[in-house]
Amino acid sequence: MQEIRKKYVIPGDHIADGNFKNLLNAVEISNKIYATRVGIAEVGMDGAKVIPLSGIYIPRVGDLVICKVIDHSAMAWELDMNSCFSGHLPAQDVFGKEFSPSHDDLTKVFGIGDLVACKVANFDRSRNPLLTTADRDLGKIDSGEVVRVSPTRIPRLIGKRGSMINTIEQNTHCKIIIGQNGIVVVSGPSARDILISVKAIRMVDEGAHTTSLTQRVKDMLEGSTSGNIG
Amino acid sequence: MVILGDLMKKQGIRSDGRKIDELRPVRIEAGVLKNADCSSFIEFGGNKIMVAVYGPKEVHPKHMALADRAVLRCRYHMAPYSVDERKNPAPSRREIEISKISKEALEPALILEDYPRTAIDVYIEVLQSDGGSRCAGITAAAVALADAGINMRDLVTACAAGKVDNTIVLDINDEEDKKGQADMPIAYMPNLEKVTLMQVDGTLSKEEYKKCLDMAISGCMQVNQLQKEALRKKYFGNEEEEEGDMN
Amino acid sequence: MSHQKKSNVIVEHLRRIQMQELLVKGERLDGRGLTETRPLKIETNIIQKANGSARVTLGNTQVIAGVKIDTGEPYGDRPNEGIMICGAEVLPLASAYSEPGPPDEDAIELARVVDRGIRESEMIDVNKLVLTKGKVVYKISVDVSILNIDGNLFDAASYAAASALLTAKLPKFKIEDGKVVDTNESTPTPTRTIPVSVTMAKIGDVIIADPTHEEESIMDGRVTMTTDAEGNVCAVQKGGAGTFTVEQINHIVETTITKGNEIRSILKKATENGSI
Repeated sequence: MQEIRKKYVIPGDHIADGNFKNLLNAVEISNKIYATRVGIAEVGMDGAKVIPLSGIYIPRVGDLVICKVIDHSAMAWELDMNSCFSGHLPAQDVFGKEFSPSHDDLTKVFGIGDLVACKVANFDRSRNPLLTTADRDLGKIDSGEVVRVSPTRIPRLIGKRGSMINTIEQNTHCKIIIGQNGIVVVSGPSARDILISVKAIRMVDEGAHTTSLTQRVKDMLEGSTSGNIG
Repeated sequence: MVILGDLMKKQGIRSDGRKIDELRPVRIEAGVLKNADCSSFIEFGGNKIMVAVYGPKEVHPKHMALADRAVLRCRYHMAPYSVDERKNPAPSRREIEISKISKEALEPALILEDYPRTAIDVYIEVLQSDGGSRCAGITAAAVALADAGINMRDLVTACAAGKVDNTIVLDINDEEDKKGQADMPIAYMPNLEKVTLMQVDGTLSKEEYKKCLDMAISGCMQVNQLQKEALRKKYFGNEEEEEGDMN
Repeated sequence: MSHQKKSNVIVEHLRRIQMQELLVKGERLDGRGLTETRPLKIETNIIQKANGSARVTLGNTQVIAGVKIDTGEPYGDRPNEGIMICGAEVLPLASAYSEPGPPDEDAIELARVVDRGIRESEMIDVNKLVLTKGKVVYKISVDVSILNIDGNLFDAASYAAASALLTAKLPKFKIEDGKVVDTNESTPTPTRTIPVSVTMAKIGDVIIADPTHEEESIMDGRVTMTTDAEGNVCAVQKGGAGTFTVEQINHIVETTITKGNEIRSILKKATENGSI
C-alpha cells in the first residue's frame, strides 16, 4: 500500500515537487505541481490528482446521463446534457436501420421537455457527444422527482461499489437513477419516502468533502424512517 | 526634502489615513448569486463589484467558436448609480477597453484548451466605483472562475500602485487617482510570478517605475491571501484538514 | 433565440405535470399557498455614491435600485414639475439566458411598468421639486439592476425602486447668479404614498401570486397591478398570451389590495429602520 496524502486545495496551490507520470486537475511548471481546481489533492507514488469540488460535466464515453430533449430535426433529437455540449441522438438509434423520415414521427417517441436516460456512445473534442438509448434501463423517464446535484459529487453519491446509493435505496425503498451529468431521478412508494431520499442526496451534495459521510447519511435515514423528518 | 501637497498629511501618512504601503479594506465573498455557474462579490475600499461566470457553454453565434479551445469573453460594466454623476447604462469606450484588458489579464491563467468549442463569459458589474475598480474586478473574477471549476494554472490577483505628492504609494484611491501623479494597475499570477495586466497613467522615472511595480506586486500578494481565504471559506468552511476515509 | 435560452425555458415534462397537479390541489412546488408571496428582504443605503439605494431579494430574485438626483430643465408642458425617470436593466450576470446588449422588449416592458407604478401613484411630489419655475427643476433618476432572476422581476424591481426613493436624500440646491449651487445639505425626498405592485400569474385556471421563474415559464398570462396606500389601483399591466375572465380579474384586484397592504408595511419598516 502506498501512502496517499490528502489536502484541501484551490487553483495555484503547490501540491508536490518532482515528476509524476499521472496528473489529473494539476499542472507541472518547472518541476513543481500546482492544483488547477478547488478540491482535494491526493499525491501518491506515481500520480498527483485533485478530486474537484466544482465544475461542469464533461462527457465521457460510457457514462449514463439523464438528458432533456430540447429540439429535434427530421433525423435526430438534440438533448440538453447539463454540459457545455449538447447531445446528439440520431433517429436510427430508436427506429432502427429501417428509419425513414417520411414515415416515422420523432415526436411520438421523445417530445420536447422529455427526460431521457442515455449512454454516451461516442465523444471526441471535435464533435458533440453521440448518445444512445439502446441498452437495458435506458429510454424515456416517465415518473419521479428530478434532483440536480453538482456533477462533481456523483462519485460520492454512488460511493465505493455503490455503498452510498445502496444505503439510501434500501432505507427508503426508492429507486434512484443517477446520471453522471448531475441529474438524479428519484421514484418511490410514497411522497414521504421520496422526500427522505432527496434529503439524503442533498446531504451528499453539500458535504461531499467531509469524512464519515456515509455514516451520517445512514443515521439520518434511520432516524427519519423510524420517526420524524428532521 | 519632499514638498507635501494635500494628498500626504505628513511624511508617510496619506489623506485617508493609510500608510504608503497599506491597502484599503478588502472583503471577498464567493458564491453570492444563485443562477450563475459561479459568482463573487468584492468590496475593495469604496468599490462594490459583483462578478458572475457562465460556462464553459456552447458558443452562439457558432462561428465564434474555436476548434481547439474555449473563447473567453469579458464584460466590465458600471451601474448608472455607481459614480458621482449618473452614468448612461450603455457601455462607454472606457468600459469597452477595460473589458478587453481584463479578459487579457485573466486568459493566461485559464487552461482554455481543456474546453474546445465552448465559451466562458465573465461579467464584472461595478455597483459602486472607487479608484482601482478594474483591479478589484479582475481579482473577483479570478475567484469566480476558480469557483466555477474551470481549470486554472494559477489565480490572478490585481492591485495598483502609484505616485502621489512625489511618493510611491500602494493602492490608489479615487482622490489620489484624480489628483495624483501616476497610477499603475497590475495583475499578477502569484505562483507563476507573471504579470498579466500593466497600465500606467502618469509620469514615473526609471527608479520610480521599478519601485512602483514592486509595490504593486507586494499588494497583489496580500490580495491573493484574501482570494484564497474566500474560496477556502466557501468550500471547506471550518473543516479540519482531510485525513480520514473519503468514500 | 439562442440555444441557451431555449434550454432554460423548456421545463421538463415531469416537472410541468407535477406543478399542474399540485396547483389544482391548491399547492405549489415550493410549498407556498396560491396567493402567498416569497420571503421579501430589503436593505437600504447600500450604495453610498447614490442619493438613495436598496437591495431587494424576493425568494431567489435579487435586484438593486439606485437613485441619482441632479437638476435639469422641466418638460415644456409641465414647467412646474420636477422630473422622475425610472429605468431597469437586466444584467447579463442575472441568468444564463440574459445577454449583453441593448435591452430587449422584456427589459423595456419591465422598466416601463416599474416607472408607471411610481409615476401614476404620484408617489413623488413633483411640485416640490422646482427650483426656478419653467427653468430649473430637480431630476430624479431611478435605475434598477437585475442581479439574479427567479421570476417576478416586476414586483422585486418596483419594491427596490420605491425603497430607494423612500430613503433618497434630496440635495438642497440653490440658484446663485443663475447657476445651481449644491449647499451640501439635504432633506428627505418628498413622497406622498407608497405604491406596491403585486403580480399574479395564471396557469390553467389557477391564479397564483408572485410566480417563480419556473412558474412563469409555464404560465398562460400574468397581471401586474399597482395600488397606493389608500387602496386605489393606479397602474395595471397584463402580459402573456393568456386570457382572464372578469371574475378572475375581480379576484386579482381583491388579492392585490390585501397583499399590497402587507407588503407596504414591510417596505415602510425597512425604509424607516435601514433594513429588515
